[in-house]
Amino acid sequence: MEYMDNVYILGGAQTDFERNWQKEGKGVIALLKEVVTDALKVVGITFSDIERLNEENKVACYVGNFIAENYIDQGHLGALLTEVHPAFYGVPSARYEAACSSSSAALDAAYTKIKAGEYDLAVVVGWELMKTVDSKTCADILGRASYYETEGKDIDFPFPRLFGRLADETIKKYGIGEQRYMDSLAKIACINYGNAKRNPFAQTRKWFMNYEQASRRGTKTNSFVGKRLGISDCSQVTDGAAAVLLASERMVKELGIDRNRVPVVKGYGHRTAPMLFEKKMENARGSRYLLPWTRQAVVDAYHRAGVGVKNIDVFETHDCFTSSEYAAISAFGITEPGMEYEAVEDGRIGFEGEYPVNPGGGLIGCGHPVGASGCRMFLDLYKQVSGTAGDYQVRRADGSIPKNGAMLNIGGTATTNYVFVIGR
Amino acid sequence: MIHTVTIIGANGTMGRNVAAIFASFGNAKVYLVSRTLQKSIEAKEKAFLSVRAESIKEKMFPRDYSQLAECIGESELIFEACAEDWKVKENIHKQISGYLSRNQIVCSGTSGLSITALSEIYNEDQRLGFVGMHFFNPPYHMTLCELIPTPHTDMEIFKSLCTYAKNVLHRTVVEVKDTPAFLGNRIGFHFINEAMQTAETHRCDGGIDYIDEILGPFTGREMPPMITADFVGLDVHKAIVEHLYGNTCDYAHDTFLLPQFVNALIEEGHLGRKSDGGLYRNHTRGDGEKTRQVYDIEKGNYREIRRYAFPFAKEMVGAIRAGDYGYAFTSMISHRSKEARICCELLLKYILYGMKVVEIIRGGVFAMGTMSWQPALTGVLPWL
Repeated sequence: MEYMDNVYILGGAQTDFERNWQKEGKGVIALLKEVVTDALKVVGITFSDIERLNEENKVACYVGNFIAENYIDQGHLGALLTEVHPAFYGVPSARYEAACSSSSAALDAAYTKIKAGEYDLAVVVGWELMKTVDSKTCADILGRASYYETEGKDIDFPFPRLFGRLADETIKKYGIGEQRYMDSLAKIACINYGNAKRNPFAQTRKWFMNYEQASRRGTKTNSFVGKRLGISDCSQVTDGAAAVLLASERMVKELGIDRNRVPVVKGYGHRTAPMLFEKKMENARGSRYLLPWTRQAVVDAYHRAGVGVKNIDVFETHDCFTSSEYAAISAFGITEPGMEYEAVEDGRIGFEGEYPVNPGGGLIGCGHPVGASGCRMFLDLYKQVSGTAGDYQVRRADGSIPKNGAMLNIGGTATTNYVFVIGR
Repeated sequence: MIHTVTIIGANGTMGRNVAAIFASFGNAKVYLVSRTLQKSIEAKEKAFLSVRAESIKEKMFPRDYSQLAECIGESELIFEACAEDWKVKENIHKQISGYLSRNQIVCSGTSGLSITALSEIYNEDQRLGFVGMHFFNPPYHMTLCELIPTPHTDMEIFKSLCTYAKNVLHRTVVEVKDTPAFLGNRIGFHFINEAMQTAETHRCDGGIDYIDEILGPFTGREMPPMITADFVGLDVHKAIVEHLYGNTCDYAHDTFLLPQFVNALIEEGHLGRKSDGGLYRNHTRGDGEKTRQVYDIEKGNYREIRRYAFPFAKEMVGAIRAGDYGYAFTSMISHRSKEARICCELLLKYILYGMKVVEIIRGGVFAMGTMSWQPALTGVLPWL
């Protein structure tokens, strides 16, 4: 079919993840109005364009959100976009949920519909407002991304504990010295905090962190959360939204943009691992990888894109905890499984490294409004491959902007695994 | 590169918090100098909390004045954060001057005294490295940092300090001329003092809590103006507005006149949060219930805070909540109630004075095109 070739990425916007919307007296509609208006403006599409496209049923909205029912007592989130602007009246819109990878599920659905030639424009919005509750309640709400009855209920901070267990299992499986492994996690935290300093949207851009501080777990200013990890190993509670616009070839032509300059979605991977952490570990016993389904999602995405790790110039990963970024290094193929510490120690994943990971700070540095993170990663990859990342733009060895980027967005304890490869 | 910094007056809140900024972001070795070693040790024990980093403790070294010469001898930058009193500062800067031996940067953290006058305590060579460096409290959260050269300052040194403050200390740097209270405080205290004056005018309508309610969070402030004044301390507020009244002569001169009721509170020792209340206080009733009270200007005593309900404010709050920021402010402008008029008038005066002061403080320094500051509200008020 004529219009089925490519799914183009027109760009988008994110909110400043430093903001606390409740403190500002602003609710979810304000959040959505800001991010959608900004995204349309950046891309050069108006609300009138949306109305016109909708007359032909060629535009749709995809909303990623994990659990607004608990944070702000609001459901039916696809329909909520009609409160942003009357242009959305009649536009197909639904909410997609896959815990912290919710907005990747929304991106997946949008990608599929454009690819199938059903729609010409997809507005994808990921968001979460989390600062409406205290940190303990917040952690309990997030516990619903595990099998709550078994792994979350009546447990303080269930996810830091589970990702602490991931750290334990990593040490056990690969026989890495505990000190060397924990040092790598501290360095991962530092890299993300450091990268966030260049990102004008990052939650922690004014915060202080260094290796000494990240290493001093169990102190007053870096207390343990769960058993093994410290506060410095965790992403923070964040309010925020990110929106991206995907388009068909017809739309790109209509906008008068040179299609060769517009990044496209080259491939995706989507795999689901056993829900329970215990079963995940049992399931992984025969594999070289601790998270084999995460690795498989990467392999699938590389295969669909026709690339290998050597062709990827920039990465965005789901560092909800330092231990999850550590596991992602081998899942991406940057190192062999069990050798991830090498890429941390030799600077390979640093801002100037061969395989820069999270140049805008990732979840630890930029922030983790859970339902927005997939969209935020996707947007940041878009910025990197289109050369519009500003102060956190990475460059290839020859000084050129990245050609391809890959992202990994996980839900739960790497239960839902979404990978996208985008590039020019 | 700045490897070593001496903070003089490190036992004060600003001194120790600024020390933490140099030790953390600056990764500098920091000497904490106070009148007694014990005070410096106590400062070290508190300072790391302000940047939430135990790791910086090992970068801080408590000292007293008897060791000042060695501290200064080793430092590339000396930061003075002593009491806001000319005689105290003059004495300290004379001492510093005696110990300077090479091209060193000396900064004063004064919020009100003349940087040029302080620099003239030094000999001509030493003046080249003298700069005003004004942080806001608490500096870890308030990243604004005013940097003030004098006519004697070597602009190469000044520029390198600006770059260091911006790129290494992660400050939001604003270069300003040496004018009374500089930029941020001149505008901020103008607004707060005018809110106090307006509270006095409207004392029969409720006064302090009435005006604070009119200037609620929907106007873009995190804290209403008179709660801010209690936070700052009424004695400090008085010192700054009197300094501004005595040393400025623009159209807003009279807005720096301290209302009589504030003087009365200060005389009774009601200085704000640091004492037993100020414009507001926490009160425990006879039945043990804790309440929040406000000073009633008309009656001269404290009373319970009132619950006001202003239709214009309700409309603004609703519009802002739904993201209709432009409508929120146009509705305030078109509202005819007395409270909406007070709100609109105070905000407009605040913005206009902000713009006026930016104009006054432009000049030599700003000819270089570094000034981009504007009052926070100009971003949300659609007609500006």
